[in-house]
Amino acid sequence: MKKILALLLALCMSFALCACGARSETPAEESPAQGPAAQEEQQAPEAAASVDTCILYEEDESMLNTYTLIAASPEAPFTDADGNPVGDVAVNAAGAEALVRWLLSPEALELAGNYGVEDYGEKLFYVLDEAPVYEGEIAPATEETKTVRLSTTTSVNDSGLLGYLLPIFQEEYGYTVEVQSAGTGKAIAAAQYGNADLILVHSKSQEEAFVEAGYARCLEGFETERLSFIYNYFVLCGPSADPAGAADCPSVKDAFAAIAEGKYSFISRGDGSGTHTKELSLWPEELGISAEAESFADYTDWYISANAGMGTCLVMAEEMGAYILTDKATFLAFAANGGQAA
Amino acid sequence: MTSAAEKALELILTADRELCNILSVTGRMSLASSLLALLIGLPLGVWLGACRFKGRGVLLILNRTLMGLPPVVCGLIFYMLFSGVGPFRQFKLLFTVEIMVLAQVVLITPIVVGSMESYVASLAPAVRETARGLGLGGGKTLALLMNECSYQICSAYLLAFSRAIAEVGAVSMVGGAIAWKTNVMTTAIMQYTNRGDFSLGIALGMILLCLSLLVNLGVSLLQRGLSR
Repeated sequence: MKKILALLLALCMSFALCACGARSETPAEESPAQGPAAQEEQQAPEAAASVDTCILYEEDESMLNTYTLIAASPEAPFTDADGNPVGDVAVNAAGAEALVRWLLSPEALELAGNYGVEDYGEKLFYVLDEAPVYEGEIAPATEETKTVRLSTTTSVNDSGLLGYLLPIFQEEYGYTVEVQSAGTGKAIAAAQYGNADLILVHSKSQEEAFVEAGYARCLEGFETERLSFIYNYFVLCGPSADPAGAADCPSVKDAFAAIAEGKYSFISRGDGSGTHTKELSLWPEELGISAEAESFADYTDWYISANAGMGTCLVMAEEMGAYILTDKATFLAFAANGGQAA
Repeated sequence: MTSAAEKALELILTADRELCNILSVTGRMSLASSLLALLIGLPLGVWLGACRFKGRGVLLILNRTLMGLPPVVCGLIFYMLFSGVGPFRQFKLLFTVEIMVLAQVVLITPIVVGSMESYVASLAPAVRETARGLGLGGGKTLALLMNECSYQICSAYLLAFSRAIAEVGAVSMVGGAIAWKTNVMTTAIMQYTNRGDFSLGIALGMILLCLSLLVNLGVSLLQRGLSR
């Protein structure tokens, strides 16, 4: 008994020592560098050296990444796992309507358009010129409509945009927004299973299929079900040496063709996400690469279907010196963090 | 590694609000599910271990199969059952801590049953003989058996708790890893990893291990006390 107590005490002490050590070290490091600017200068080359993967191709029209809001319809043809119709699915239509209206209000659009300038020095999202704008009243939450379930893609959630916007909405109107994030495919499936009141995704073909199947609802005051409002760009990243010469290609499709021709390693998300869908559309058609595993069976020596999240794929690309298609926000976060697996 | 350690300390020292919420959800979820699993698994395990009856072999095989139930399969089943279009949709349990506990209990109980059963089965003949020699009744025999088992009960509980706190497949599926509501340590680590923020993931991992260490120390002390 006494032995254990002594051990516990020793453990606590070593923890405390660690804590003190970490605290006293930090000011000592800071003191020689005068002010934050000098400190940044010191860190910058170090961070650049640790991540070799860099942006090779960006801001190309075919790399446009548009995010769309779609409210789920309570009258959608819901079916259970066996395909039998299900009638009484609970969808918080009023709550979803309020959130859509707020996200499309001039105030929220401006906030979204300026997000990221503070943390990364550049905008992570741009507001679409033709984005629908709502300037009317927004209903405050009631006991029944309080909880809004938003299903979104990992790239939106990981960019921190929702964590930045939603608290303002919640405070002002009294709603609680529950955000689930998954690849676009799974995010849409959540709404089809009646587990989300609205979705925020970025894959046009999948969105259109969702609307066509009757799962979407056209909100009062808007013209379509698919409310596209913000966009950014996908970026093609790869090793800084760029053996395929992707950066010098006239278009991003040529860059993809060059990668395929030279059989340079390429990491694919392979998970049915919006990023994966976009990547599939950029390969030369004669290769026939699609979401099916058979379609790239002959290319396994260079085409790596990771079936993983964006961050995991970026680490793989960094380790293997491979090319990768990624949304810009996740890449900036990855590069800012030194890109190390700690 | 150093930066991760510093981050972990920084998170703890500044009592980061989100971390506190994640910790409290993790604590509630793993304590509730491990205690419930112990409550259900203990009597079942003792019964299976001590009594000989027809069909015991079948139950044992069934239990051992369930011990190997992959968490994601368990999560998927609960997801489909409680989904908006599932048969239990009116309970509105999907994406709550309650359903996470439920899924965890299904995962953990067989482990408690298995660990108790094998111990009790090895102990029961001797205890029964002693009880007969002393002329003890059924109730007292059980009490004697439980007294002999107290050390093993602690071990079984630790096993249950460790499994509950370390589980990720099922809880991420049925809980949805919703911030401020159902995000636990393991799902948060997964989120940060997917985000490419490895050092924060490692920081959370360190905190998780420390928590586990504390609980283990506590129960080990209790075990020591019991074995005296």
